[in-house]
Amino acid sequence: MAKNGCARTMGRRAAGMATLAAMWLALGAAPAARAAEDGPIRIGCSITETGPYSPPAVFELQGYRLAAEEINQAGGVLGRKVEIVNYDDQGNPSTAVQLYQKLIYSDRVDLLLSPYETDLMSAVAPLVTRAKKVMPSLGANVDAFQGQFPYLVQAITQTPRYMGPAIDLAASRGYKTIALLIQNTQFPQQLARGIEAEATAKGMRVVFKESFPPTTTDFSALVLKAAETHPDVIVGATYLADSEGIVRAAKAQNINARMFAFSIGPVEPEFGRGLGDAANGVFGTTLYFPTLHTAGNAEFVAGFQAKFGRAPDYHAAVAYGSLKVLAEAVRKVGSLDQDKIRDALLATSVDTVAGHFQLSPTGLQIGYTSYVLQWQNGRQALVWPADQASAAPELPHGAW
Amino acid sequence: MVSIIALVLLGLLWGGVYLLMAEGLNLIYGVMKVVNLAHGDLIVLGGLLAYTLFAHVGLTPITALLPVALVLFALGAAVQWGILERIPLGGAEGELRTLLATFGLSYVVSNTSFLLWGGQFQSIPFLQGALRLGPLAIPEGLLACSLAAFAAALLVHFWLHRTIAGKALRATAESPLGAASCGLEIRRIRIIAFALGAAMAGGAGALVIALVPFQISSGGDLTVQSFTLIALGGLGNYLGAWIAAEILGLAEVLSQYYLGPDIASATIYLLFIAVLLFRPQGLLGRLGRI
Repeated sequence: MAKNGCARTMGRRAAGMATLAAMWLALGAAPAARAAEDGPIRIGCSITETGPYSPPAVFELQGYRLAAEEINQAGGVLGRKVEIVNYDDQGNPSTAVQLYQKLIYSDRVDLLLSPYETDLMSAVAPLVTRAKKVMPSLGANVDAFQGQFPYLVQAITQTPRYMGPAIDLAASRGYKTIALLIQNTQFPQQLARGIEAEATAKGMRVVFKESFPPTTTDFSALVLKAAETHPDVIVGATYLADSEGIVRAAKAQNINARMFAFSIGPVEPEFGRGLGDAANGVFGTTLYFPTLHTAGNAEFVAGFQAKFGRAPDYHAAVAYGSLKVLAEAVRKVGSLDQDKIRDALLATSVDTVAGHFQLSPTGLQIGYTSYVLQWQNGRQALVWPADQASAAPELPHGAW
Repeated sequence: MVSIIALVLLGLLWGGVYLLMAEGLNLIYGVMKVVNLAHGDLIVLGGLLAYTLFAHVGLTPITALLPVALVLFALGAAVQWGILERIPLGGAEGELRTLLATFGLSYVVSNTSFLLWGGQFQSIPFLQGALRLGPLAIPEGLLACSLAAFAAALLVHFWLHRTIAGKALRATAESPLGAASCGLEIRRIRIIAFALGAAMAGGAGALVIALVPFQISSGGDLTVQSFTLIALGGLGNYLGAWIAAEILGLAEVLSQYYLGPDIASATIYLLFIAVLLFRPQGLLGRLGRI
């Protein structure tokens, strides 16, 4: 009986070994033939092409594609063309991990690009780090760039900086007090700490601070309570639905402030469609705007419009910028040595369509900042900082 | 002082919104004993249809109410006729089968909505202002939803208690066998009831999307919220659902003000647990009701 059991275990183990061997062959043998030195440089990533989270990610993929096309038109990198190898992660972090595993060990791509957004990027971070592959990452949270993932560099504005310029604009008008409403999730929480730091630095005071869960749909009591502190500025560390909810609650209860500003929300076209006239006068921040006077932006906007039939958004711009920066680093190094590419990236100081790209020694983005837009007559206008503005900010906010 | 009056008013008005969203479910569950897990997705579908009618045809949510309700009525009838009628009922297994069927339906509805409208939050700018009443500002949109909820509750009550079709529906719910032996066409009656419940969900969505932005995945939360509400009131009991909705609205607004929004979102479930512990039949429910 015991012998029989032992034999069965042995049999199972042998079968397992055979499977492993087959997988090893499948993983190892096939790409060896493909990884020719004179073929294109293959750059892999997973992108959320389908599912509810796909719209921003598709912008990102289009940004990568346009950058690759331009790089190839200019003669490629190291004398080779570049080619993007991308798979659909459907917005699922565990799928993204499997796909990066495939990209690294089966497809054996030469370089990696980032998925969108933070959840997916964080999920693949340990794997990418173990494989010692450089990845310009499109995750805004600062946690991944404190040194534990040395091959990740941040290619998007870091979260605490998202609303800095909006606070700067408020301070420039002499506004003193802020009511801060924060969605109780990771990104807005981190963003709110940045707002508080910026407010203190600019001599403003946060007189009201309250967080709310992401499922909140009724903001009436929260906004009423915030209004009792008579803040000059009502600031939301929010996404789209909650920023609309706060504006609605303020208007429906006739609660006024000199300025209303939100992190993510007003940047989306749906904000204006959903709120109509109530959107006018509200400020939001963005990491990019088509009218920016940044390096190569006019060409980028024209090229994007021609290729994809729509104007680029900030996801497209930072993705485009990240591939351009990566290609430049490879050119400088002269090979695909990942450690050298990382060091070259850390030493990079360059202007992209999204702004000035510069990294801290641990890969944290310390160059990119954000821009302030305002809904004016049913359209978004870039209003701050002044040297980038396409319209003057309309302040103070009139009574509803 | 103004503040506490304003808060109570807000609570009562939000109660009306919650009631509006739960009424269709109350009809379908209360009368037919079918748990419609696609209820929230039908609300979202109605809202998104109203959004399209607003964005492309220029209809306000009030004028869109009838066409949206008609579309959802047809959809509800098709679902009952094509799916739920064909599932053998009876016993715990039958209940599980309808539960799974409506669960599947919720996926079909939300993913079809995704293909048509995408994944972004949508909303309609409508009745966003405030009615001034001395120092009080009464949100117009909330008021409109509360009035609609009240009107819908009255109409359904009238239909169930004063018309032959409504009485037949209640008879079918009490005893399908007895109703059939009296010559009632119970199949047709159930189709009408489910269609009506779906139409009420769609109509609610058309109004509420002007208050709360909807996204295709909003449906699940709305189903849970609506189900908790009708269970709190006593399943199928209209007055009970109304009282439960007002209590919820008040509890939610007052706790958001005094205890903070993080606790406010838990109040609905804390209340629910309390009711389950001390009054498992619901506030106005009858024990042992079938």
